[in-house]
Amino acid sequence: MSFVLRRFAFYFVAIMVAITFNFIMPRMMPGDPVDALFASAQGRMSLETLAAYKEMLGFVDGPLHEQYFMYLKSIFTWDLGPSIMLYPLPVTELLSVKVPWTVGLAGMSTFISVFIGLLIGTYASYHRGGFVDRFMPGFWAFVGAMPQPVTALFIFFIFALTWKVFPLSYGANPDLDPGYTWEYISSILHHSVLPIFCMVLGGIAAWIFNMRNAMINVLGEDYITMAKAKGLSNGRIMTRYAARNALLPVVTAVSMQIGFIMAGAIFIETVFNYPGVGLLLFKALGARDYPTMQACFLLIVVFVLVANFIADLLYLWLDPRLRK
Amino acid sequence: MKKLGLTIAVSAIAAGMALSAHADGHKHAQGGTLTVPIITPTFVDDFNPYSGAQGDMVGGTMYEPLWAVNAMQGEINWRLASGFSYDDDLMGLTINLKDGLTWSDGETLDADDVVYSLNLGNEDAKLDATGQWSSGKFASVEAIDATTVYIKFAAKDGTIDWHLPRLHVVPQHIFSAVEDISTFSNSNPVGSGPMTEVTQVRDNQIEICRNPNYYKADQGLPYLDCIKFRQYTDNSQIQAALINDEIDWGSNFIADIEKTYVAPNPENHGFWYPANDLINIYLNTREAPFSDINFRKAFSMSLDRPMIVDLAAYGYPTPESHVTGLGEFFKTHFNDEVNAKYDYLAEYNPEAAMALLDEAGYKDIDGDGFLENPDGSAINFDIHVVNGWTDWVQTVQMVSEYLAEVGIKANTKTVDWSVYDSALKEGTYEASINWSKTNAEDPIQAYQDYFHTSRQNNSWHTNHGISSPAVDALIDEYAATSDADRRKAILAELMDFTGENLAFVPLFSNPTWYQYNATRIGGWPTADNAFVQPVFYDSSRKLITFEQLYAK
Repeated sequence: MSFVLRRFAFYFVAIMVAITFNFIMPRMMPGDPVDALFASAQGRMSLETLAAYKEMLGFVDGPLHEQYFMYLKSIFTWDLGPSIMLYPLPVTELLSVKVPWTVGLAGMSTFISVFIGLLIGTYASYHRGGFVDRFMPGFWAFVGAMPQPVTALFIFFIFALTWKVFPLSYGANPDLDPGYTWEYISSILHHSVLPIFCMVLGGIAAWIFNMRNAMINVLGEDYITMAKAKGLSNGRIMTRYAARNALLPVVTAVSMQIGFIMAGAIFIETVFNYPGVGLLLFKALGARDYPTMQACFLLIVVFVLVANFIADLLYLWLDPRLRK
Repeated sequence: MKKLGLTIAVSAIAAGMALSAHADGHKHAQGGTLTVPIITPTFVDDFNPYSGAQGDMVGGTMYEPLWAVNAMQGEINWRLASGFSYDDDLMGLTINLKDGLTWSDGETLDADDVVYSLNLGNEDAKLDATGQWSSGKFASVEAIDATTVYIKFAAKDGTIDWHLPRLHVVPQHIFSAVEDISTFSNSNPVGSGPMTEVTQVRDNQIEICRNPNYYKADQGLPYLDCIKFRQYTDNSQIQAALINDEIDWGSNFIADIEKTYVAPNPENHGFWYPANDLINIYLNTREAPFSDINFRKAFSMSLDRPMIVDLAAYGYPTPESHVTGLGEFFKTHFNDEVNAKYDYLAEYNPEAAMALLDEAGYKDIDGDGFLENPDGSAINFDIHVVNGWTDWVQTVQMVSEYLAEVGIKANTKTVDWSVYDSALKEGTYEASINWSKTNAEDPIQAYQDYFHTSRQNNSWHTNHGISSPAVDALIDEYAATSDADRRKAILAELMDFTGENLAFVPLFSNPTWYQYNATRIGGWPTADNAFVQPVFYDSSRKLITFEQLYAK
């Protein structure tokens, strides 16, 4: 129990630090959001409109420490104010629409790439020198080494624009009524194929290598030799004896990867105009929309920390030594 | 004889029936949906014309203007109003509304609604869509009778009518009950425009349909049933959607458009890029070498504008061949006599430029291949351009290369918007590329923006160091007279002043980005059917364009 409490305290401190960084960073960027709105319209907005905007958005200056306390208060009351680029829509409302899409996208692609990656990694390490071991890691490392925006654009160009087998944009067909109908759900699935495929391509190599390396260490342990001596089947040794123990470092790696997966989501959601948090963050950055940006960063921090916490709990389950 | 007359009448009727494609006598049958792209991160349930959140969906569709200005035809397109007239002393404006106007909910639209909408701007600067209260030009507004509105001015002014198309005439019976109009989401809009009924609001699609009480319904308008707005995040997404026939009307930069968009379907995919505003390089004449008119003239003559347009801007803009301040957009206002005096300055003539520089005392003293000022100091200046505005960055790079050919050392300086913005407004730049106000309602607005001292520090185009009380007086006089000949004479004087002083070097007129897809929708403006400048982001021009569109 004290393990859980200690971890909890750690996460609280981590989140406070993250929140403070979150406050400082956008304020160190040059320019102010209204000017940036202006720039994105290549200035074709009249000066009168600009003045009205500034007043309307309450973009008035105050001492930094006052802004900071206001900011803390707004975070803990989950009142993050109105978005600037979509004024007067509250940021929290905006996020509540966007989060499910990204969680779905990131969750599905992480699940698929971890699952396939672990299978390949386990198999490759257990059959070292075989075809899978020689070919797969190298191939996936090559695919994963390409910058994600390039892979995404390439896939977009071939499958969506040229062959037209998958849609160009959106999370689902906008002509359909959202609801729990087969038509709508199949449209969601159809729209998610390419983004998920891109994310899987980018992520799979890491899992293969993680698992393969962890397995190779474990396979040298005495209890594996013991299991073999007992005459257990190969499949049983591979999964129950070797893989379970090899999973420990991989679980840490997965939780650490959540942040990078979010970064990948920014590119992929932008290319496929997928209505998630990544795209929202990208647009908010361009518009210097501080409230939205901060909420997105905060959300990503929370994602990463929650994932780490889940990883800690998984450890407890996987490693009986920690339960004492 | 009588019989013959009857035959003619009958055949005339028959011909008329054959001409009108539809039994009800209207030009086109009603029906169909137009799909238009909007660049935004997400759609929201907001149809407030004032919040600006989704102004492009509201203006020209839900709220009908009093009138729309069609600069391409040089005419006023009457909408809610049937006419206006200035008082003889230009101290007031009377607006006459059409009879029998209604809101989409069936309530009467009358002078009270217009007065209410105008007065909103007086009560709250945020709602001053025409900007005439904040600039102190309106004194009061009142309804004379149900269809007549009178605006009293604070000073003589004959230019107020240019600003009134920007007014959103909103229903008093709805808006007067709203506590804070600037944050009102207006989810169930009641309007006067052709499309008022919101049928869908989603993250990435909004659909609005026909106004059941539209005042032009007897003419069969609007031909289309609905407009569907689709959400996109950038130009490249829109390019893909246009190519795949998902949208009908684009207003975006499309790379290599002939090959990527037109070639796959030349019958239906088209574009037309008529001239928009003029792009100039502004010179800060307070400091050497720009303080010397001969240097500025040489600067202008050393540029090959058609080549810059072809190489740096993909050939879409129109190269400028005059230096008197107006571009192709206002070509009907060009004054040939004045232009003839200065047109040589817009021609590519590096020999003349070098000769002029030499004559004015600019010599290469230290032998580095670049000229020095007559006082011996080095010439080395930056031309500002905003980071990321790629076509302009390339333009400025080409300008620097042309200047180097005549021995002038100029650098392309890419800066952040905030730096660029304040340098132009405060007059701390050396040279800077920018647009101009040459695509507004009247050419005087361009000159006001170029020279009027009241615009200094407010506009990007005024703080170049050249102004004169006489020019201020001319500009003010233009607004305070309604005499067409006097106005023409004033414009001629201002053009002459512009050409003589050359505070900025014109380069080219920007194109109006416009692509159409005739697969499902017909009636598009094209180069052969140039009835309006097809600007989607302007409610007047959007409305005039939209009214001609029909489903095939």
